[in-house]
This record gives sequence, C-alpha cells and structure tokens, in this order.
Amino acid sequence: MTNRPRYAPLSPFAQARAHLLLCDGAAIPDDAFAPGHGLTDFPERWTVAGHALVMPQPFGAPSEQRFRSASHLLALLRHRLAAETMGLRIYAVGSEPFVWDVAKIAREAGMGREEMRLFACGAPERRVACVHCRTVNPGVTTTLVTCAGCGAVLTVRDHFSRVHNTWMGVQCDAEAPGEVPPVEDLCA
Amino acid sequence: MATRFKPDETFRDDFRYGNSETAILRFPFPFGEDAYMYGVNMEPHTRPGSAGVFAVGFDVDEHYVAECAERAKVLALEPGRCLVLPHMREAEWDTLELIMESLAADYPDQFTLERDGLDWTWTNRPLGIHHTFRFGDATTLPHPPFEYIVRQAQGDFTLQDQRDGTLYIDGGVATVPADWSLAFDVGMTFHEWHGPVPLAHQAGVFDRALQYLMRVRYGHPARRLNWTMTINPRLDTSPENYPLWGPDRASLTAETIGDRLFLRVELQSFFRLPRSNALLFGIRTYLASLNELTRVPKWGRRLHRVMRDLHPDIAEYKGLTRYRELLVAYLAQFDDGAPTAPGITPDCAALSD
Repeated sequence: MTNRPRYAPLSPFAQARAHLLLCDGAAIPDDAFAPGHGLTDFPERWTVAGHALVMPQPFGAPSEQRFRSASHLLALLRHRLAAETMGLRIYAVGSEPFVWDVAKIAREAGMGREEMRLFACGAPERRVACVHCRTVNPGVTTTLVTCAGCGAVLTVRDHFSRVHNTWMGVQCDAEAPGEVPPVEDLCA
Repeated sequence: MATRFKPDETFRDDFRYGNSETAILRFPFPFGEDAYMYGVNMEPHTRPGSAGVFAVGFDVDEHYVAECAERAKVLALEPGRCLVLPHMREAEWDTLELIMESLAADYPDQFTLERDGLDWTWTNRPLGIHHTFRFGDATTLPHPPFEYIVRQAQGDFTLQDQRDGTLYIDGGVATVPADWSLAFDVGMTFHEWHGPVPLAHQAGVFDRALQYLMRVRYGHPARRLNWTMTINPRLDTSPENYPLWGPDRASLTAETIGDRLFLRVELQSFFRLPRSNALLFGIRTYLASLNELTRVPKWGRRLHRVMRDLHPDIAEYKGLTRYRELLVAYLAQFDDGAPTAPGITPDCAALSD
C-alpha cells in the first residue's frame, strides 16, 4: 500500500445534466472505458490537436472540440467551469499530470471529488517536486531524477499530492553522499 | 512543584539539551511490551487519575521555553511551516481558545486568561507575553490566531476538516516533524497522507483509526503514542532539511551512540473543536537519549528486545536500518534476560547511575 493514485475505467455518471470528457490527445486505450462504454457515451469531448490551426468553442454544443495544446485546453476549461451551473460531470483521460491538472481546475471551480472521474494511461510520467528546494521537475519517467533547481539526485517517494499534482522527491544520497541506487524506468 | 525551565537549551548546532531525573521518570516510553507492531493504540486523553504527561491536555515541561524559541527560529527561516487553508479560519480560533483555556486551567501560576465578552487578555509568564485582543478579530493579534497560539505551545499541530467520510489535513504547523512535510501533505485525506507507512494499511489499522477519530466528541479527547529515533536532540527533522540532518545517521559509533541517539516519542492527541467541528491533532515530541532511558532498568531491557526483533520494514521506514546493528549491540548490555512487567511505567522510584 502506498499513496499512489489508482484509476477505475471510465463510465458516465448515471445522474447528470451534462458530461464533458477531456483528453490530452494521446491515443486512448480500450481499457480506459468500463465494459460496454466508449467515447460515444461522452457527447461533448475536448481533445488536443497539437497545432495552432484550430479555434475551439468552449461553450459548444455536444461535439468534439480540438484545442491547440493541453495548456490551451486547461485555460479554456477554467473559463468554462467559471460559468457552469450544477449538474455537470467531467472526465479526464490521458497522462497522469494532465488528468490531475484537470482535477485541480475543477476543484478550484468548486467541484468535488465525487463530480469527476479520472483515468491515467500511457507511459508513466510524473511531475516530481523537490521537497528541499521546491522546484517542480516535469516529465520524469525514471525512479531517480536530478533536480533542475538544486542539483540533488532525487528518489521519488510513493507519495502523490492530488492538490499539487506532484510526487515527492527526496535527495537519495543525503545520508551517504554518492551512495546512489540504480536508476530504473517507471515502466519496469 | 513548579517546573524549572531551561531556556538555554538548543535543538540544533551545539545541541545543548538534557532531561532532568524528573523528566526521565515521566518520559512517555512507548513500548508496553517487549515487541512492537503497528496497532490502533488509541485511548481517552486526560482521564481523571492520569499522571505525568498524560494528566493534562497540553503538557508544559522543562523544555517549554527553549522549544518555543526553536519554533520561532524555524518560522523565521521557513514561514511556510505554518499553513492553514482559508476555510479553516473558525478552527484557528477554536484552537486558540482550547489551548489558552487548557493552559490557564492546568498551570494557573504560569498562564492566565481573562475574558470580558469578546475582549480577552492573555498572560503567558514563561514567555513574558501579555496581550489584550478581541476574540474573532485577527487584526488584534500579531499573528493569525492559530500561529499565535502554537508559537506558545510545544510540539506540532494539524487541523483536520471532516467531510466526504474522511479527514482532510487542511492546516497545521510542522517545525518538529518526524520526516513529513506539511506543505506537501496539505489537502490530503487521512489515507493519502499515511500512504507511505508500511504494513499498517494491510492490517486495517488506518481504516479503524479513521473511524475512531471521526467519532471523537467535543470534550472527550483521545491520544496515542508513536515513536521513531533521531540522532542528536534535533527537533527539526523535516524532509525539507533532510540534506542537513541525513548525514547524522551515518555518523554514530559504539562510543557515541548512548549519548547521541534519542528515542523520539510523539504523544498524539486528538481534540474535537466546538464551532468548526474540525479535529485538532497535537503531535507533542519528547526526546530522551539511550543513556537517559537505560537508567530505568525495565526500559533498558525492553528497548533491547524491541529493537532486536523489530520488523525490517518498520526499521527501514523509521530510518533505523543504517545503525540498527550498532544500536542492538549497544543495548544488549542492559538486557539481563529478566522478565519485564507489562505496561509503560518505569516501575522504579529512582534512576540507576
């Protein structure tokens, strides 16, 4: 047992006025959805195109809206939720940092944990916060990372903050400098 | 007998710290038997007839003045060690009231609280504080109400909001943490912030502890003991500063371990707050060196047996692995194999030399 988030495959909430599915543009595996469910259960879908030739409608009717980047999508999600009323449920599927960014924006807009469902997929990737110098190191795919802020080689504790969307990084050789364990890929 | 404070004690740099014989005999030794495993070891706090550190809500001992100075030092260097989310304002005032009322009732020679409606006057003689303020009006205090009062109390405190069938850690002060970060953990649920603890989850300890805590009623606080070990009498063993204190763990020798290795006991207390319905956790830390503790023969014997037989996952989580062999070898001299009586009391009137 650790403080590592676990995810259940997505299915729409039974009681809701509207459903909004947010994707980061990566391929969505079949196991992201509960048996009998799929993309078509979520009539309003936002996804990331990865280029600047799109102009999405944040208040569009049920349809697929394509955003220029994850940052673009998240900024307009904040805008959309600020104008929302009760009864909307949101769903996020994509990398772990992405789905928890969505959760954070939803929480800041006043939504509770029981009003959203998240499913992280794809190759493991973490944001690691250096507990010593507060620098957040994005895109970490290994068990050790050299902190961009203070240079410490951080080991990543099995301790995830849903509020900060970061894993806790702690200097791995603080007790005996140079005693660094082997680096492993998070996929392993 | 009035407590004689030791204002010159330090918990960093030159580490000037020690326990009087009285302090050793009232030390909350955490092992009631010769073996240790995680459990839901919760019981009512401040029961009539309780003695020593268990007799009052917030124990004030000979280290009070020095520990308050240490807290002020940490907060001056790292103000983020005290952090309360905005929806916990009412719980801040609840905390201030609870601690002031308790200290004034339990130590009338040292602390006085006079109330005239919402106009309160607080006198803290050990720290030389005398303030008149308006209860509920934060502009009348030099710090926010939670920070104001925890600067005048020993040990760390956290504020838990109870909602969604769990407890959220939504505020606190952690200048005396046993390797946990308030800034990182803030906003987590009870199970999330305890995630890294080994073995206890599988045993259902946290499920049962949470159920117990959510039922704690106003006026009926609860408590438990927890423990770890610290090299030197260092209160600030925060993960933030681990690069500064981590090397200590590799520095012990057979000659120094008796004086430099400290059993670190947390007297954790749990209080329901009246207006906010939040739960206040007190995490009061007591430090005693091996050489101090082994002056109680029962504790010396027991400490050897507990450390020798400790589950390796617990030893690793508590950071003992690097020096555990040295520790057990050192403690062996205090274990003659005689049976020990159940319970944590020292069972001796005076200390051995």
